[in-house]
Amino acid sequence: MLDPFHILIAEDEVLAAMALEDFLSLRGFRVTVAANGVEALERYVSQRVHALVTDLRMPRMDGQTLIREIRERDATLPVVVMTGYLNQDSDLTHERWKPLEIFSKPVNPRTICETLNRMLGLPQRA
Amino acid sequence: MALGFDELLDTGGFVPHGVCLLWRPDILMLHVGSDILIGLSYFSIPVALTYFVLRRRDVAFGWVALLFALFIIACGTTHFLSVWTLWTPDYVLEGLVKLITAFASLGTAAALWWLMPRLLALPSPRELEASNRALAQEVATRREMENRYSSFFNNLAEALFIVRVEPDGDFAFEAINPALARATGLDPERLRGQHVRDALGPEVANAIIPRYSLCRDRGESVDYEETLDLPVGQRVFHTVLVPVKDAAGRVVRILGSGRDVTERKRLQEEVIQTSKMVTLGTLAAGMAHEMSQPLNVIRLWTENTLTRLQENLLDPARAERALKLVIEQTDRMAKLIDHVRTFGRRDGGGMQAFQPANCIQSAVELVRHQYGMEDIEIIESATSAQLPVTGRPLELEQVILNLFSNARDAIVALRATGAAAGRIMVAISDDRSGHNVVIQVTDDGGGIAPAVLPHIFDPFFTTKEVGKGSGLGLSIGYGIIDGMGGRVDACNVELGGGRRGVRFTITLPSQPVSSADREFSHA
Repeated sequence: MLDPFHILIAEDEVLAAMALEDFLSLRGFRVTVAANGVEALERYVSQRVHALVTDLRMPRMDGQTLIREIRERDATLPVVVMTGYLNQDSDLTHERWKPLEIFSKPVNPRTICETLNRMLGLPQRA
Repeated sequence: MALGFDELLDTGGFVPHGVCLLWRPDILMLHVGSDILIGLSYFSIPVALTYFVLRRRDVAFGWVALLFALFIIACGTTHFLSVWTLWTPDYVLEGLVKLITAFASLGTAAALWWLMPRLLALPSPRELEASNRALAQEVATRREMENRYSSFFNNLAEALFIVRVEPDGDFAFEAINPALARATGLDPERLRGQHVRDALGPEVANAIIPRYSLCRDRGESVDYEETLDLPVGQRVFHTVLVPVKDAAGRVVRILGSGRDVTERKRLQEEVIQTSKMVTLGTLAAGMAHEMSQPLNVIRLWTENTLTRLQENLLDPARAERALKLVIEQTDRMAKLIDHVRTFGRRDGGGMQAFQPANCIQSAVELVRHQYGMEDIEIIESATSAQLPVTGRPLELEQVILNLFSNARDAIVALRATGAAAGRIMVAISDDRSGHNVVIQVTDDGGGIAPAVLPHIFDPFFTTKEVGKGSGLGLSIGYGIIDGMGGRVDACNVELGGGRRGVRFTITLPSQPVSSADREFSHA
């Protein structure tokens, strides 16, 4: 069996991160959780990560900055954004950040999972 | 040798006086004519004097005039006797009459000298005339002043009224001016002399009589704002009562002036409401985030639990944990919803006594997470505040939030220059006197330029770029704190380690103070 895909979750709300981690683990992903942008970037740099699931408003380093930092290193890493409030002048909807999908909180973990599968080129589960 | 009265009057041994004049008719005629004329004149003078004294009852020292009359009659009599003795030698009788005249003259002369100082003190007609003129002038001046004051009273746009304090302490209207009549719809004629209790509706009377009583009992000016249901509708008045005291210091009248501030009040409320909306707008972003968090947790945990249930991977302990989490998160949301609901409400309820520490707590809770995102830490020092203050809790919370928001902006602006910042300190305590609660909000956002510091409470003054701030936050905050009888000051502080910032100090009296005291504290 292939090594499972490694998903990095950047989310400061511990309970949300925990539930998503559990959900994605059940779906066969390997999951790492970071509580803020800085921690997430450290994990990204030190480990091989296949996709990023991130919140936007986080202490120390926000999601936008994290995505910019990661895009500088990897133009093709699949990114899923979960946000409670998308600033109107955020340019995350721009083409240049793709592959990137944005979901408003509350998010449906099934949708997150399906999106990750699609972005990673995995077959959709029934 | 003692002589009897008859012997004394015996003229036997004398010759008539005419013998001395050798009975020359011309000399006789001269003496007789002159003496008779003198005698008649002398007799007529006392008649005139007596007539004068009797008619002018206000003549001072009238008895002196009567003494004069007596002396002159006696004098006249001696002249008639001189004529008599020309032919009849009654020299003894003449002598006796002269003796009487002598006593009368002596008495009159003595009385005159004795009275002289008092007579001199009597105002002369010229003096009387001068003082009459002065009095007339005075009356004219006073009448003019009275006209002027009554024209003030009648024409001033300020609503004025005079209330008489009755001996039993009750109040009666003495006068109200046309401006007051117009502003309130009350009839000046109907009100005049009426007891306040009878002249006005019971609700209005019950609202104003305690104010009048305060002015009466304290003997000091009282000013206040009142909302009254009047014939013209509900109006808000800013009223000042001034006591008028008698010589004994008892308040006998109350002068009142009232300004209709209904419109101003409404505008003020609108501005406060607008600023609240602006604050609410800036908080909306934070709110959306705050609300989405618990919702997100709920959704993730329920989806998770459902999936595990469907796949037979759910153990009871996990299910219980998930459900408890869901309940907790709904509580968290309910709190947030409550908060937003009360914050948007128009006036946030009436004045009440409350613990200011609670307001600070909810203000901190409202922004802590949001500011945490921006790496701004809110540090609360242990609170020792026990005293309650009077006001509207939500308004105080709004003031604190506004201070937080300014602190945050200062920190963000300072960071943009490359400097380190990110702490907001908030402290609340009772002051040593035990009369005030002191709230301090301190940031490390670099401080305010000394030239700007005196202006920060001015309405519409802002240092922020166009579109970033209304410039109303601090001035409204100032108004709110002032309305609670407190004050707010700002100063720059050194925080050590090269950090500088601004400290806002709000001092709130624990006991509600009268507006008179407030005026004093502002002086």
